[in-house]
Amino acid sequence: MTVFHFFNCAILTFGPHAVYYSATPLSEYDTLGTSVKAALVYLGTALVKLVCLATFLKVSENDNFDPYQELLKALIGFIDVAGLYFALTQLTHRNISQNHKFQAVGLGWAFADSVLHRLAPLWVGARGLEFTWDYLLQGLEANANLVLSISLAALGSLMWLRKNKPKTLIPIIYACAGIVATMPSITSYLRRGLGWQFPKVVGFELFTSLVMAFISWQLFSACQRPSA
Amino acid sequence: MAHRKARERDMLDSVYSMLALVFILVACVELCDAATVVDVYRLIQYDISGVPFGSRLASLNHHAGSLHFSPGADLSRTVVMIPVRELNISFVTEYVSRKHPLGGMLFLLPEIFRLENGGGGKDVREKEVVKNVLLELEKLLVHAKLPYPVYFAFENDEIDAVLDDVKKNDATGQPATATTGGYKLVIPIAEPKKVASPTITNIQGWLQGLKADGDANQLPTIAIVASYDTFGAAPALSVGSDSNGSGVVALLEVARLFSLLYSNPKTRGRYNILFGLTSGGPYNYNGTHKWLRSFDQRLRESIDYAICLNSVGSWNNELWIHVSKPPENAYIKQIFEGFTNVAEELGFKVGLKHKKINISNPRVAWEHEQFSRLRVTAATLSELSAAPELLESTGGLLDSRHFVDETSFIRSVQLVAESLARHIYGYQGKNIQIFADNSSLAVNPSYIRSWLDLLSQTPRVAPFISKNDPFIMALKKELADHTDEVIMQHEVLDGMFTFYDSTKASLNIYQVASVTFDLLLLLVLGSYLIVLFSFLVITTRGLDDLISLFRRPPSRKVKTA
Repeated sequence: MTVFHFFNCAILTFGPHAVYYSATPLSEYDTLGTSVKAALVYLGTALVKLVCLATFLKVSENDNFDPYQELLKALIGFIDVAGLYFALTQLTHRNISQNHKFQAVGLGWAFADSVLHRLAPLWVGARGLEFTWDYLLQGLEANANLVLSISLAALGSLMWLRKNKPKTLIPIIYACAGIVATMPSITSYLRRGLGWQFPKVVGFELFTSLVMAFISWQLFSACQRPSA
Repeated sequence: MAHRKARERDMLDSVYSMLALVFILVACVELCDAATVVDVYRLIQYDISGVPFGSRLASLNHHAGSLHFSPGADLSRTVVMIPVRELNISFVTEYVSRKHPLGGMLFLLPEIFRLENGGGGKDVREKEVVKNVLLELEKLLVHAKLPYPVYFAFENDEIDAVLDDVKKNDATGQPATATTGGYKLVIPIAEPKKVASPTITNIQGWLQGLKADGDANQLPTIAIVASYDTFGAAPALSVGSDSNGSGVVALLEVARLFSLLYSNPKTRGRYNILFGLTSGGPYNYNGTHKWLRSFDQRLRESIDYAICLNSVGSWNNELWIHVSKPPENAYIKQIFEGFTNVAEELGFKVGLKHKKINISNPRVAWEHEQFSRLRVTAATLSELSAAPELLESTGGLLDSRHFVDETSFIRSVQLVAESLARHIYGYQGKNIQIFADNSSLAVNPSYIRSWLDLLSQTPRVAPFISKNDPFIMALKKELADHTDEVIMQHEVLDGMFTFYDSTKASLNIYQVASVTFDLLLLLVLGSYLIVLFSFLVITTRGLDDLISLFRRPPSRKVKTA
């Protein structure tokens, strides 16, 4: 029954990406190229991040939460934002509306992240005879991550691509982007600093991702109005 | 532009092939992430003249069950976990004798039986309770043919937790099957193979006596013999501390004591002493037989008498001398009197048991019978009052360090050494203690203890010990330290017995989910994706689009028609 379980977990981990692509107008405008390019940018970013982590971080013997190290990790995490900036501003693939571009980039970004971080453990772990909830939770985490990536891409496109946005909203946009970009550090703090269990962390991630998605959606539509 | 596209496609192709390669590599990775891995010891599998006995299978892949299964349940795909502590022997008897189908059996031995867990008088009551059950169980399993794998394991916290869960499941009337989940016990192991020509190794050493000047005659010889190998339900657990570890240790200590005496020409006796550690004891003393056959006639005739040591480590107040010549025989009388005198001084009794040998019967119950068959005077010193049956009292599951009583064992060593010395130096009937306590020739309890500990941690079933096993090397070295002309003799065990390997394995215990759970999960996930799809379509394109998605195909058909 193990291949079955692997199949289930894979559906949960990668299904939403496919559904998102086919259900939204992304598929109608054939934005796959943008997503693929975003995924490639993600790969490059991940590589740079790895190099930075290996260079600047000490290998901690214990699993404790070390604020200085975590701060450094969060700073290195902002390389993601740089990568996203590159993907949003420098990549030009046909004529794609801003509206679709950030979705395609976010989607590619999240998909590459899922493949890179979750496929191998899933393949090795979920096919084993031993049953654990871990891989289902990991699938849920991938869903939360998809929502967060798209939110971040949306906020990024507001920051860098949209010129005439209401002045009052700018700080809120930046604050939200900051929160979303530091999510990995926050969850790491919850897990190791506060000792939360994995299910609780995943629940928190799902909740915050929905909240952030709602906020960024509101911000996006608020910015849309004057231009429309 | 077209050129660029072709290049892109080429690149993608190479990426795909790389990915495929990676996947193939990953698929080859061996999976072993069980919740618990436990060492297990397989029930012996052997044939006697082609008739199969023991557990006939080794690999295991079934769900776990407990003794609390609902009556009439089909257990053909269930491994029954049975803690020996609460074993109901009638259940096992019924299943074995009626040949009910079972997926397998896993017996859980109490932690105190663990080999490393030597000594200590704790839990005496528990030992006594388990003792009788184990004796009966071992006898039953060794002489039955079981068409499923049977394993032994030691209880620990992890396996106890699993057992509790399994019991709880069974109590609710839900035996674990493929559809209800539970625990799965997996032992991935190859089909057991026959042990090709099992070897037995005999070790002998000499202490040469002092010849008087000009005496041309050969000196008489006294032989001290103990068989060192064991046989039991679980070969990897058959350490035989008492049968016959105690005999081996007694022999080594006697050799040590006499080597002290023989190293000085003033105290060297006028007897040669031959020490023999023989193998093949459980199989009618096959090794002893081969060993004696290898002697030449003159040597055999020079043996005055032989003392065989068998199980001398856990008696209360009586030891037995078993002989096959009638007690009226002068030599037997002499040996017996020598032993009784010393025993009386030490404060216990030695009895004499006479059992005639029947040459036509292949069964050799005592080691001295092999000597008697070749007309050499011999006796066996043992705590057993009656001759054991084939494959009994050969150092099975129960025969662990806990059941050896050190004080009585030391007294048996004193008995053997003292009566031998009195015979050699001609002090029969005189009250002279040669190996007196607190003298430089006293029996050394720490030497005895350390060798007993070593033997109690070393399984010694002859077919599974190789010629150059470290244990055999250690025995040889120890004997060489005290005696001269140490020889190892390798022989092939005679053909009646065939043994199969895989005596040890590791058991993986997995907690598994059922098929029903997986199906339900698939349903839930499918509906989640459908809901997500509909939600996204409605929010981004509107409800009409969603409906039109389902309408389109028929409308097209209408158009083409």
